Amino acid sequence: MADPIFAVRDLAKSFGGLQAVDGATFEVERGSITALIGPNGAGKTTLFNLVTGFIKPDRGHIEFDGRSVFGRPPHVVARQGMLRTFQITKALAAMTVIDNMMLAAPDQPGERLLGLATRPFTWRRQERAIHARAIDLLERFQLSRLATAYAGTLSGGQRKLLEFARLLMARPRIVLLDEPLAGVNPVLGRQILDHMHELRTKSGITFLFIEHDMEVVMNNADRVVVMAFGRVIATGLPSEVRRDRLVIDAYLGAHGEDVA
Amino acid sequence: MSLYLVSLDSFGHVDFWLGVGIVAGIYSIFTLGLQLNVGFTGIVNLGQAGFMAIGAYAMAILILTYGWSPWLALPAATLVAMLAGALVAIPSVRLRGDYLAIATIAFAEIVQSTAQNALGLTGGNNGLLGFDAWWQTIQVSMLGLLNLIGLGTQDQIPLFLLVWITFLVLMLILLALQHTPWGRVLRAIREDEDAAAALGKNAYAYKIQSLALAAAIGAIAGYLLALNITIIYPGTYSADFTFIGFAILVLGGLGRYAGVALGSILLWFVLEAARFIDLPLPGDKVAAIRLLVVGLVLIFVMVLRPQGLLGRRQEMVLRG
Repeated sequence: MADPIFAVRDLAKSFGGLQAVDGATFEVERGSITALIGPNGAGKTTLFNLVTGFIKPDRGHIEFDGRSVFGRPPHVVARQGMLRTFQITKALAAMTVIDNMMLAAPDQPGERLLGLATRPFTWRRQERAIHARAIDLLERFQLSRLATAYAGTLSGGQRKLLEFARLLMARPRIVLLDEPLAGVNPVLGRQILDHMHELRTKSGITFLFIEHDMEVVMNNADRVVVMAFGRVIATGLPSEVRRDRLVIDAYLGAHGEDVA
Repeated sequence: MSLYLVSLDSFGHVDFWLGVGIVAGIYSIFTLGLQLNVGFTGIVNLGQAGFMAIGAYAMAILILTYGWSPWLALPAATLVAMLAGALVAIPSVRLRGDYLAIATIAFAEIVQSTAQNALGLTGGNNGLLGFDAWWQTIQVSMLGLLNLIGLGTQDQIPLFLLVWITFLVLMLILLALQHTPWGRVLRAIREDEDAAAALGKNAYAYKIQSLALAAAIGAIAGYLLALNITIIYPGTYSADFTFIGFAILVLGGLGRYAGVALGSILLWFVLEAARFIDLPLPGDKVAAIRLLVVGLVLIFVMVLRPQGLLGRRQEMVLRG
């Protein structure tokens, strides 16, 4: 691959007797939209949890933009510019939409007690800038009229948009989306995909997303990574993987002698 | 008159209610720390009485054994309590919910046992006396000033003022902190630690800070309690203190600092007013009835306002 922003090699994690991720290896091209697909239980979400530090891997290598993030805690991974969403949206329910947004800003010295005490003017100035940026993003995601509402009062779809917008506040370089379209109506789904394409084009953000809908994958992903039984069984262009024998077997069940 | 009446003899006594006000104020300060932990960070700290004890003992020992000036001993003791808070937090704050609660309550028990048994340091169950000469001096000059406005005979007024001014100052500091980006991260951790971590926030470090600050607040409550009863002994800092603090927290409302004062005043008013229930029963039975009345009031408030006196209902519902 010409210029990978993100590379996983021989990554493994077992839970007791279950080998959830079993030596997964793949790369993600900088500025690409890459889909991570595979049957249920293939280890896709576990892989997300491993690379973002939510679960400690047993072994392997995880490189993000030339630096190892193997075994680093989630907040460190996030600060390096790798941001993720969760399958079940994590809106901070009893906080307002605008607070949800402003929270994610990475550059606020007022988040530290020392910064509050020693830089009282800097953090206030920064807070105004962060507020402006948050409002701007909310407008782009058509959420600005809900800015002062509790995030918990939003509809499921609005929460997905909020989570997406919030993550952008953190200035990501790569975004990992865990089933961004699950439980979302087609109109909103289209909106989320449009945002993804626009951000990739305009801001150069790389996307890696888990998706089950093959039509969505074929129409939106530049590259596809296919997992089954904790391993990466195929990578390539959408048109390539759809014809891959191993992939077809994994999805439809193995036939004949070639068990994946 | 019938024996079954509430006697109002001492109901109107100012000094009695000043005394109640002092206790209510000390509990308010104590519970501010719990509010920071439980209401704003989402961590269950059942060891607050332990931090209070550590602060009070450290203050008294520095003054009595090492001859420190109280103006050095007070900040130093507060730092000692904060350090204790951080030390308890470091291994235990990664535990979730119930486990953290058990770890903190165990810590408070260790502190109490130590206070009872480290005779050379703490005087054991005899307690420590004579650490408050500095306060006696201040009190006398305050009473001299109060005499000018005709209040010189109420010798509890200085401590009453000290307690409630301390409460106000601490509450204003905490409110200000709550409206900073720091406070925002704390609330995010309360809502969903994983979401906060996924956005680059080090939940672990914030929880340690939250517990250390609560310990400092507990220590301050400990000094005032020591001044109020003029002796420091282990029984004063039992886990009961923490549980009453939690009752106040629920009564006043989670996530509202002012609710702490309201909850404490209500609880102590009911508890002390129940003293005047004049029943033909032995003293210990009457004491039990007082707590029963408090329990009923708690239930009553919870039925009418499940979010507490000042709590926000919507936040409670949204948090599930």
